[in-house]
Amino acid sequence: MRTNSASLSSPTATTAQSVTVPGEVPGAEIRGLKVVFQTPAGPMPAVNDVDLDLPLGTITGLVGESGSGKSTLALAMMNAVPKPGHIAAGSIRLPSVTDMTRLQGKALRLARGTALGYVFQASQNSLNPLKRIGAQLLDLGRAHGMEDKGALLRHARELCERMGLDPVRTLSAYQHELSGGMRQRVGIVFALILNPSVLVLDEPTTALDMISQRTVLDIIRYVQRERHLATLIITHDIAIVADLADYLVVMYGGRVVEKGPTRHVLQRAAHPYTEGLIAAIPRISGDIDRAQPLPGRPPDLLSIPRQGCVFRERCAFAIDQCSVQTPGLMPVRVTRRHDALEEDSALLDGQVAACHVRAPAPSAKVST
Amino acid sequence: MSPDSPPSVKVTTGSGKARWARLGRRLGARVLTGVVMVLAVATLTFFLVHSMPGNPIQTEYQTLIARGVSPSLAAQQVAGMYGFVSSKPLIDQYGQYMWHLLQFNLGKSITASGEPVVHLVLSAAPWTIIPVLSGLIVSFLLGVSLGAVAAVRRTNRLGKVLSVSGSLFHGVPQFVWAVMLAYLFTTLLPIFPFGSPYNILDTPGWNGPFILSLVYSAILPVLAYALSSYGGWLLTMRSSVVTVLGDDFVLAAELRGLRPLTQLRYVARNAFLPLFTTLLLSVGFMFGGSIFIEEVFDYPGLGYQLVNAVNARDYPLMSGDFLFITVAVIAANILADFLYTFIDPRVRKAA
Repeated sequence: MRTNSASLSSPTATTAQSVTVPGEVPGAEIRGLKVVFQTPAGPMPAVNDVDLDLPLGTITGLVGESGSGKSTLALAMMNAVPKPGHIAAGSIRLPSVTDMTRLQGKALRLARGTALGYVFQASQNSLNPLKRIGAQLLDLGRAHGMEDKGALLRHARELCERMGLDPVRTLSAYQHELSGGMRQRVGIVFALILNPSVLVLDEPTTALDMISQRTVLDIIRYVQRERHLATLIITHDIAIVADLADYLVVMYGGRVVEKGPTRHVLQRAAHPYTEGLIAAIPRISGDIDRAQPLPGRPPDLLSIPRQGCVFRERCAFAIDQCSVQTPGLMPVRVTRRHDALEEDSALLDGQVAACHVRAPAPSAKVST
Repeated sequence: MSPDSPPSVKVTTGSGKARWARLGRRLGARVLTGVVMVLAVATLTFFLVHSMPGNPIQTEYQTLIARGVSPSLAAQQVAGMYGFVSSKPLIDQYGQYMWHLLQFNLGKSITASGEPVVHLVLSAAPWTIIPVLSGLIVSFLLGVSLGAVAAVRRTNRLGKVLSVSGSLFHGVPQFVWAVMLAYLFTTLLPIFPFGSPYNILDTPGWNGPFILSLVYSAILPVLAYALSSYGGWLLTMRSSVVTVLGDDFVLAAELRGLRPLTQLRYVARNAFLPLFTTLLLSVGFMFGGSIFIEEVFDYPGLGYQLVNAVNARDYPLMSGDFLFITVAVIAANILADFLYTFIDPRVRKAA
C-alpha cells in the first residue's frame, strides 16, 4: 500500500500546488495551518505553518512529545481549538468540506462527525455516564439528520461486531460497565457511525494494557483498509505507529520537523529530533540503557523560539544559522558511497525534514 | 479480532421481576434500619427533653405571675394541669412513652389541656408546608436554573453578577429577609396583608376566596424563604455545572456535533446528581419548620409550635415535634437513597 509518492505535501515552501498522484484521492489537505493562543505575554503559536496531506487509504502517524502541538493540530482539524486559542491562518480541506476553518454554527456542527471522525484522547470517558450507549448513538444519529433509527442501529451493531464487541450487550450497556479496551473500541464506533472518510485518533492506546493496545491497533488497521479511510494517529510513542502507519510526521514545538514514508523516516531519520525519538525507544532485548532519553525539555508555548529552528537548544548539531533562520521542509538526500572515489546523493522519495544541517536548502549548502 | 471476554460487562437489566424483587428487598432493609433509628432518636429526645431545667407547672405558674395574676389564683389555675403531668419515675414514664409510641400514640399535650399531640402536630403541619415547601420549590427552581446560567456564562458579566448575587443572598439570614420584606411590603408599602396566614373574614375550606387569600398571604413568607435559600442552590448548581463542563464527555459531545439542546441535557442531568440528595434532605428538614418566617408572618406552623412547646416545657408536644422531624428526615434519606439508583446507573450495580 505504500505509494511513496509526493503525496505528503510538496517538499518546498511553495505548497500551493501540491502534487497528487493520479487516482489517489486526497482525504484531508492542511495548508499553512497556524494556531495561536492569546496569552498575557502576547499571541503564542502552538501550531505553526503546518502542511499535511492525509491520502485516502493510508495511515499517517503524527509523533511528538507533550506540548509539540499535535493535539492542538487535531482539534484544529475539527475547528475546535479551545479558547484562548484560534486558527490564525491556513486551510483544512476534507473530502466533503471545502475549508473546515471557515465553517461555523450549524454547518460546523454538522461537519463534525460526518466529515471527520474523531476518537478522543480520553476515550475512556468520552460518553455520558448516565445514558446507555445505544441511546447515545441514536442521539448522535438524530443530531446529524439520520431519522431512520433501524438503519442506524443495524449499522451500529455491525460496527460493534467488527470491533469484536457483543452488539446487544454493548449497546445496552453504560460506559462504566465496559473495560478500557472496550471503551476505546466504542469510541471508534462513535467516530465511524456517520461514515466519515477521515478518521483522527488522538493517543488511541494510552492507558490500555498491552493486549488491548494490540487489539485496538489491529482494529484501526483493519477498519482503515475496509473503509478506505484517511487515518491520522496521534501519539507520543513512535513504536505504536512504526508498523502501522504508511507515513510518519514528526512535530516539535508546533512545527512539522520531518515527514515521509514510515520506513524511510525510521531507517534514515534526517532530523536530529527524529533520531532522538527513535533512540529513546526501549528495545525488547538487550540492555535497557541502550534506550537513550532525549536530553533537555520540550518547549512550552512561552519558550518556543520565535526565530530559527525550534529544536536548536536541544540539538547537538546546531550551527549559527539555526538561531537565525527558520529551516523549511527540504527533501532529504542520502549520500551513497560506491567506493573511495565515487559518491552520489539521491533524493529519498517524499521524505522531507526541516534542518539546516541534515536537509539543507539547495541554494544554501552547508558542509557538515 | 479476539472476541472480548465478557466478565467486564455486567448487564444490569436481568429479568424485570428479579430486579424489582432486589429493589424491594433493599428498600425493606432500609426501612427497617430507619425504624430502628427513629426509636433510638425517640429515646434520646425523651431523656433530653425531660432533663431540661424547670417543669411545665412551674413554668406556667411563673408565666401567670409575670402577667400579674395573684399567686393564689395562679396556683389554682395551675392545679388543673396536674392531671396531665405524670409523677411516676422517669424510667416508667419512658417505658410507657415507648409502648404508646409503638401504637402511634404520642400522648397528650400538657399546655393544650389534654389535646392529643398527634392532632396538634398534624394541624400545624400545613402551616409549615405552605410557606416552606413552596419557598423550597421556588428557590430550588430559581437557584438551579440561574446557577446553570452562571456556570455557562461564568466568564462574562452576567455570570459574575449571578455568582455574587448568590453569595450575597446566601449570606443574609432568613429572619432578616422576613423582617425586611414584612417592613417593605406591609408597612412602608402596604400591598400585602400582615398578621394572619389568610383573610379572617373568609370561611376556611375549599372555597375560592379563602384559597385566594391563602395564596395572597403566602407570597411574602414564600419569598422570604426563597430569597434566603436561593443563593445556596445557585452556588451549588454553579459549581456542579462547572465541574461537569470540564468532563471529557462534554467536549466529546460537542466535537461529535450533537445538538446544543442534547449537549445541554447531558450536562444538566449530570450536574443535577449532587443536588438531588440535598434537595430531598431539605424536604425532610423542612418539617422542622422555619421558626423565623412562621414567627414574623404569624403562621401557626411546626417551628412556631416547637418553640412554644419548649418554652412551656410541654414534654409530650416537644417529643412529638422532634419525632415528626426525625421521621421526615430519615424518610427523606431513605427515599433519596432509593431514588438515586434510578437516576444514576453507576450505583445500581452496588444494589
